Amino acid sequence: MHLPSWNVLIQVIIIGILTGGVYALMATGLTLIFGVMRVINVAHGAFLIFSAYISYWMFTIFGLDPFLSIIVSVPVLFLIGLIFQRFVLSRVKGDPGLGVLLTFAMALTLEGVMGSLWESTGRSIRTAYTSEVLAIELSGLTLRLPWVRIGGLVAAAIALAAIYFFLKNTNLGRAIRATIQNRSAAQLMGVNVESVQALTFGLGLATVAGGGALFSLIWTFNSGSHEEWISKMLSIIVLGGMSSLPGTFLAALIMGVTESVAAVVMTSYLSPIVFYLILFLTLIFRPQGLFGVRIREG
Amino acid sequence: MELLRRWWKPIALLTLLAYPWIYRAPYYHLLGFNVLLFAMMATSWNIMGGYTGYKSLGHSAFYGLGAYLVAVAANELGWNPLVSAPFLAVIVALVAVLLGWIMLRTSGSAFVISTIAMLLIFRLVALNLREITKGAPGLSQPLPPWSPEFSRMPFYYYILFWLLIALFISWYIRRSRFGLGLVAIRDDEGKAEMVGVNTTLYKVLAFGISAYFVALGGGVWSYFTSHISPVFAFDIIVGVDMILMTMLGGLGTLWGPVLGAFILVPAGDFILFTFGSNTIYLAIIGGLMMLVIIFMPRGILPTIAEWIENRRAPRIAHEGAHSMAEMYDQSKGKTVAEDESSHERTASH
Repeated sequence: MHLPSWNVLIQVIIIGILTGGVYALMATGLTLIFGVMRVINVAHGAFLIFSAYISYWMFTIFGLDPFLSIIVSVPVLFLIGLIFQRFVLSRVKGDPGLGVLLTFAMALTLEGVMGSLWESTGRSIRTAYTSEVLAIELSGLTLRLPWVRIGGLVAAAIALAAIYFFLKNTNLGRAIRATIQNRSAAQLMGVNVESVQALTFGLGLATVAGGGALFSLIWTFNSGSHEEWISKMLSIIVLGGMSSLPGTFLAALIMGVTESVAAVVMTSYLSPIVFYLILFLTLIFRPQGLFGVRIREG
Repeated sequence: MELLRRWWKPIALLTLLAYPWIYRAPYYHLLGFNVLLFAMMATSWNIMGGYTGYKSLGHSAFYGLGAYLVAVAANELGWNPLVSAPFLAVIVALVAVLLGWIMLRTSGSAFVISTIAMLLIFRLVALNLREITKGAPGLSQPLPPWSPEFSRMPFYYYILFWLLIALFISWYIRRSRFGLGLVAIRDDEGKAEMVGVNTTLYKVLAFGISAYFVALGGGVWSYFTSHISPVFAFDIIVGVDMILMTMLGGLGTLWGPVLGAFILVPAGDFILFTFGSNTIYLAIIGGLMMLVIIFMPRGILPTIAEWIENRRAPRIAHEGAHSMAEMYDQSKGKTVAEDESSHERTASH
């Protein structure tokens, strides 16, 4: 363990915030899905990797920029989510543990399919601008920020703002928020909860498709990576309070910075343990997270 | 049918005892060992996941911990793994009790997630404690002293012995007051607490017991393969296999996990041989798990028992004269369990 200099520390914190923005987009779908369905979608990480593979394919075959590949991956994942909720997940009622097992089984299936399609080699997308860096001189400090990370944060912010606007100002958005607050009351008010659930699952996967496109630009991945990433996303939403969108956003920034700092303070091998420890400790000592409902019984 | 019903247990036991002498090729010994190992571990998982209803995805943590304890004890202290494994598994069970005492403050999906987090923490620690675990490359231990031709036979009989013990414990728990308490927790934890079940104590104990045989299995496996590494010792798939076997055979029944292991271990080998690829195996296992959860969440034994019940019911009203259904009754499966726990509830009112 060693303490880095101020220069390095500030750089690391800013990178952490940029990363946190992408984390926020990746985890938002998980929050929406848990809020409406009360099921933790353990397959979220696998869907993230899957959409990253779509971007990878679009890039290697058609030369499509990952930022643009969302025109393919978002509709595809939206449809998958709709179908999965409507015809698979909705059949499991009652035991929430069973719902988790079902999404976990989905993750395994997807991992197997992806591993067969793309083998286990680590993939990443290297565009012309991947190694470009924005250098800022600030009163003696030199900050070097990769453009990919900055673009990631901007894209994530736009997507999150769009989701926020959608939830606040459209009828479907209101129906989704109403269902999160109180499912039976929403039903009594005339909300078709079943369609809302299916649409929310689709929306949740559509956001992870956006996250996956950014993901494919920044990180290296293979079919097995989803285990690591679902744990990160779970710790984010648990810390944020499960069904709270502002909570998810804040927790994503906290996690991004914590991880980034931990990687220089500890070894980068051990730094993921920070995520698991936060997840573990939050679940046990503050199950309601930063702001949210208690989910010990979730 | 009548004969089969009365004699199937001794016949099955004799078959299992004779099996390694009938099928002498090393592969069959490996297959037999794996079937019995997973039957034992699934039986153990079932005590928590089936009887108590808390479905842990992280039992591989105990498997890996058992494996490492046995390997380190063999290397550093020269302890014979087959002697030390049952004792070292007690330590793992105590660790499970301690962790369970914290983790079982959650339930439902929060519990499932905390078990995954537990497993990942264990794996990371194993990867990073290089002085003890040798990190990612893993740890070797001495080969068994007996001749290589027979090397798998002692393992086979050893694990058969422990499978019988595990089954006895599972059977004994299920017909005890303790087991009734566990089933009551599964059916309605709040009510169980109200009628005086010490739910925390019961859950934590069940978690420890269900970790014990998994740890023992891990310890024996580490001697069996003689080389372990964090990725394989703390592989989430080992835990998933236990769950899938239990759910396929019959969640919360005595024989369900065993039946599941006897079906899925050979089937898994068959898939691996046919496709020769781990990824297709994963896809098939995942797909199968989805099908079981959606279409047969109670598993084979309860479904068959119910089917026979429905078919026979008009003719033989109260006899229950059919092997499967009786097997199910003996295993104190769900219907019987509910009757009993409701009796207990009314009795204590």
